[in-house]
Amino acid sequence: MAEVLRDIINIIAVFAIPLILLVFLGWGFFKKVKVYEVFVEGAKDGFNTAIRIIPYLVAMLVAIAIFRASGAMELLTTVIAPITSLFGMPPETLPMAIMRPLSGSGSLGIMTELMKTHGPDSLIGVMASTMYGSSETTFYVLAVYFGAANIKNTRHAVPVGIIADVVGMLAAVWIVNLIWK
Amino acid sequence: MLNYIWISLIAIGIFVAVGNDVRDEIQNTYRNGVPLAAQVEVRQYTSGTGQRWEGVLVIPAATFNSFYSIESGSAEVHQPVTITTLETGKSSITLPIGDTTPVLWKEMVKGGSAKDKLSGKVFDMRVSQDNRMAQLMFEIEPIHFVKMKAVTQAALDIAGTAVNIALGLIGIMALWLGVMKVAEEAGLLKVLTRLLTPITRRLFPDIPSDHPAVGAIIMNVAANMLGLSNAATPLGLKAMEELNKLNPKIGTATNAMVTFLAINTGGLVLIPATAIAVRATIGSANPGIIIGTSIVGAGCATVAGVIASKLLQRLPRYNKTEVNNG
Repeated sequence: MAEVLRDIINIIAVFAIPLILLVFLGWGFFKKVKVYEVFVEGAKDGFNTAIRIIPYLVAMLVAIAIFRASGAMELLTTVIAPITSLFGMPPETLPMAIMRPLSGSGSLGIMTELMKTHGPDSLIGVMASTMYGSSETTFYVLAVYFGAANIKNTRHAVPVGIIADVVGMLAAVWIVNLIWK
Repeated sequence: MLNYIWISLIAIGIFVAVGNDVRDEIQNTYRNGVPLAAQVEVRQYTSGTGQRWEGVLVIPAATFNSFYSIESGSAEVHQPVTITTLETGKSSITLPIGDTTPVLWKEMVKGGSAKDKLSGKVFDMRVSQDNRMAQLMFEIEPIHFVKMKAVTQAALDIAGTAVNIALGLIGIMALWLGVMKVAEEAGLLKVLTRLLTPITRRLFPDIPSDHPAVGAIIMNVAANMLGLSNAATPLGLKAMEELNKLNPKIGTATNAMVTFLAINTGGLVLIPATAIAVRATIGSANPGIIIGTSIVGAGCATVAGVIASKLLQRLPRYNKTEVNNG
């Protein structure tokens, strides 16, 4: 099972992008689009978009970096661990749940650490990796995507993102506890 | 709301850092000015104008843990060490930070004078006859304001990292934007868009169903589901730019944008490749066991996000900034 799975992942990783390139550009050529010229025309905007997101990215990442470096995470964990334990979340996995929406590399580090300490096939290991797969780095996505459109007033995007994260984490806890029993 | 969260992250971070540093000073967490006993297994000895020993510093776990009052501390410490004695008889110790360095010392480096090593004074060093073993008492340089220094460093480092991330996007952005442009001209996106119109019209009632934004959204979601994050981000940014062309109030998010972000932050992936890869590396018997659970988790998150975006967009506090529902 694991073997088959790894093969599928490898095949997708190897073939997806070349295939998309071939189909899209090939289709364009077939439809008599001047593929090279049009490609270059479209690609020109890449630079501007990337540059436009820099201020948004700096603002967001600096705030998150300060929060992480201060040790506030440990404090937050001790404060809300008693509450999340009621939902069946082991306190060890709480930093994972808090870090997931804030930092991709941070949560990857926590997940790796938890699995090394408790074993990848333990309840904590499975839950941590499920949590990692159950959400995106919400605040990074917010900064980058809204940066690309120069959006400063995000309206209800942040509460929506937080609701989605909380639901995702609780769903991960629920489903892992369910299959564990 | 982002304003509150943003300032909270920064303010809480700084206050907690100050609090932690004050606590460390009061408790003398880093044992400033207190000598510690250790043994050195000498690997290399050189003498010239002074003397120099290189080797491994060994401290039993119990000694180390009780010295720093750590409850569940590290195992026995094996730490590379260099000790130099000048002609004047003054000895100093250098502990370069490496893989075997105890966690606490790695933490302490942030408050020390050098970035990658701890240094200190040596008292009372006794070397065995054959120059192979040494007993010594040493005292690490005074360590202060570890958290505040860490906060400063993190803020400055990440500002640079942010720029690198953005610059790294330029090439990949250009590639995908070029491909998308060709697909657009060839009418391929229209075909995709038409196929999925029943879904997209419900999710994004404000976007005309043949608008290029729909094509970019579909491509982004597809790339995300397949785990092609390299392609997903550029396509997502393209979608946001297209959505922004329909935005009646520049600088303010539209309903469609927030729904689109909800789908993205939910992070629905068919195969969570990163997590599976890490599990396999650590030696899981069944790395893929999390595929099903992740789909449930991310599925719930995505559905909750979309529903929340649809409900919250009606609240007056989020609507008053909107010119119309566009």
